[in-house]
Amino acid sequence: MTGSHRRILVVEDDPETAGQLVEQLTTSGYQVDLAGCGSDALSRGAACDYAVITIDRMLPDIDGITVMRQLRDDGIAAPFLIISALGEVDDRVRGLRAGGDDYLVKPFSFVELLARLEALGRRSETIAKETILRVGDLAIDLISRTASRRGTGIELLPREFQLLEYLVRNEGRVVSRAMLLQHVWDLHFDPSTNIIDVYVGRVRRKVDDQQAYPLIHTVRGVGYTLRAPG
Amino acid sequence: MLLAKTLTSSTFKLALIAIGTFGAIVSAIFSYVYLSTSGYVRSRSDRAIMAEVADLRDVYERSGREGLIGLIRQRTSDKVFAGHVYVLSDPASAVLAASAGEWPSRTMAAAGWSEFRVPAAASERTGRPLVRGMMDILAGGDRLLVGRDITDLDDFTGQIETAVIFGVSLIFVLAGVASILVTRRTVGRIEQINATSRAIMASGLDQRIPLRGTHDEWDRVAENLNLMLDRIEILMGEVKQVSDNLAHDLRTPLTRMRGRLEKAYHGQRLGEEAQTLIGDTISDLDAVLRIFTSITRIAQIETQVRKQAFRSVNLVEIAREVVELYDAAAEQRHSCLTMAGNRQVLAIGDRDLIFDAIANLVDNAIKHGREGGKVVVACEIMNGSPVVSIADDGPGIPADQYEQVFKRFYRLEQSRYTPGNGLGLSLVAAVARLHGARIDMFDNSPGLQFKLCFPAPGTQRQ
Repeated sequence: MTGSHRRILVVEDDPETAGQLVEQLTTSGYQVDLAGCGSDALSRGAACDYAVITIDRMLPDIDGITVMRQLRDDGIAAPFLIISALGEVDDRVRGLRAGGDDYLVKPFSFVELLARLEALGRRSETIAKETILRVGDLAIDLISRTASRRGTGIELLPREFQLLEYLVRNEGRVVSRAMLLQHVWDLHFDPSTNIIDVYVGRVRRKVDDQQAYPLIHTVRGVGYTLRAPG
Repeated sequence: MLLAKTLTSSTFKLALIAIGTFGAIVSAIFSYVYLSTSGYVRSRSDRAIMAEVADLRDVYERSGREGLIGLIRQRTSDKVFAGHVYVLSDPASAVLAASAGEWPSRTMAAAGWSEFRVPAAASERTGRPLVRGMMDILAGGDRLLVGRDITDLDDFTGQIETAVIFGVSLIFVLAGVASILVTRRTVGRIEQINATSRAIMASGLDQRIPLRGTHDEWDRVAENLNLMLDRIEILMGEVKQVSDNLAHDLRTPLTRMRGRLEKAYHGQRLGEEAQTLIGDTISDLDAVLRIFTSITRIAQIETQVRKQAFRSVNLVEIAREVVELYDAAAEQRHSCLTMAGNRQVLAIGDRDLIFDAIANLVDNAIKHGREGGKVVVACEIMNGSPVVSIADDGPGIPADQYEQVFKRFYRLEQSRYTPGNGLGLSLVAAVARLHGARIDMFDNSPGLQFKLCFPAPGTQRQ
């Protein structure tokens, strides 16, 4: 992302949560504007070109979804991240249908928010049309759906390959469990078990066991990241 | 359908018993009337005949055989005595005088009462009139038969008989028809109440039993049931309101709390011990939030709103995805997780929710099944309805606890120390209720088998 594209609009009515967001996002290198209500969000959103707009579903004046629709109608192309306190799938789906690009349920971890913002911001970048992706000594072939490290093939089930592909595409970024469920399994809820950890654990054994260095790393309390050392 | 229900209803059975009892009493009364009427009429004519026999015997004793013959001839020609029959014969049965033309030989046998038919010529009637007569043996051995034409009497008792039979039959038919009509009405109203109850169970509390405006006892029953439903709806609404408010009001402080903890966690001047402490606190907070999410999720499923998004789904596909997802978890317990059954089983429902329900059951089967055991997920069509079954070969649970496990936060003694919050099966139950599906539990000996029986596609959308 270029410098001008690290500008984010945060729409949040709770002052303390808003304060925390601004502080942490600023620390992470974002330029943050804050809107405390729906009308404020409408004027700010239309005035400036933001990389991402995060919007709370419940605002004191105008509903978050309505604000988003309005800005879309005004031709604002920035991706939206809906933050909903309701945590109900139909609300999420309604949010997405109305033009939101991702959602997050309150309370969320800041790292999760950051991961989502990174993923959303990346959308505007050109997507590479390569058929073989490489991270360190790992290579995955998107056509033959095979993976290898230092030329040695890794046997993966189709879903395991999908998971690895998602991690590779988000190389160096933190990917949360919920994001994995959403993108690899198309599930829009959290099974209240450690099933994702168990699944990633198996992929990790296949990919990292008896290799020079590990590629898949656990990010405590959030999820995983795939990166080569150095 | 309604007729079958009418005929099997208890009201109709009671009506039949009443008709039977009533009919038996009426038949008894009518038979008594018939018997006593015909008996009375008969005994009157019998008394008249006996009196006449006594008169003629007097004449015989006073004026001898010739005198009686004369009297018989005189009476035969007299119009007043039309319908009377007199026959006098000697001891050898040779007829001496007769009004009826010939001696009915049958009646010669002995003295006493008899009934017989005489030739039509004896009177102006057509046909052979029926005569009831009494034969007497006179002093000289001569035989005297005195009789009366009882055709009229016979016709009369015949009419009474017909009237009685017709009347009783009519009563039975009318009572039968009336009881069917009344029962049908009752069954119809009850069926209406039943149908509404079923609809309420299937789709939520927004329906009410229709009133007819007749202010009869059925309307009152319906009114009271509707009032009860109103009350339940209000209570449910209040509970939902409370949990919604709770969810909303708690989430804001929890978000702040989590934010602060995370800030502290990523802070610079922090000892390793403090960091671990905060990290653990965050995990615990997340566990609280997950329980929270589960409860609101179950509550949301129970509002039935998601029914609107139902579409045709292939249970096999969903089950396969669950099996794929839980394959790693099974491997960790050295268990074998496999699929069985058909290649395609269609049902109407919500993919995410069905996935969640099957996932919960599979998760349970792996966790509570035998380590190194077998878990089989099978999709099939049983009696037309799509069924997903999840079976393990672990210790199972006692049959008397089958119902209990679906309660929120319920945990079996044996699983109290395994991870989980006791909400999984209540979520499964909520999903099943939303889909109108039935959950059956079986002893897999060894182990436990859950069966999710969905309604056959096509029967669900009414």
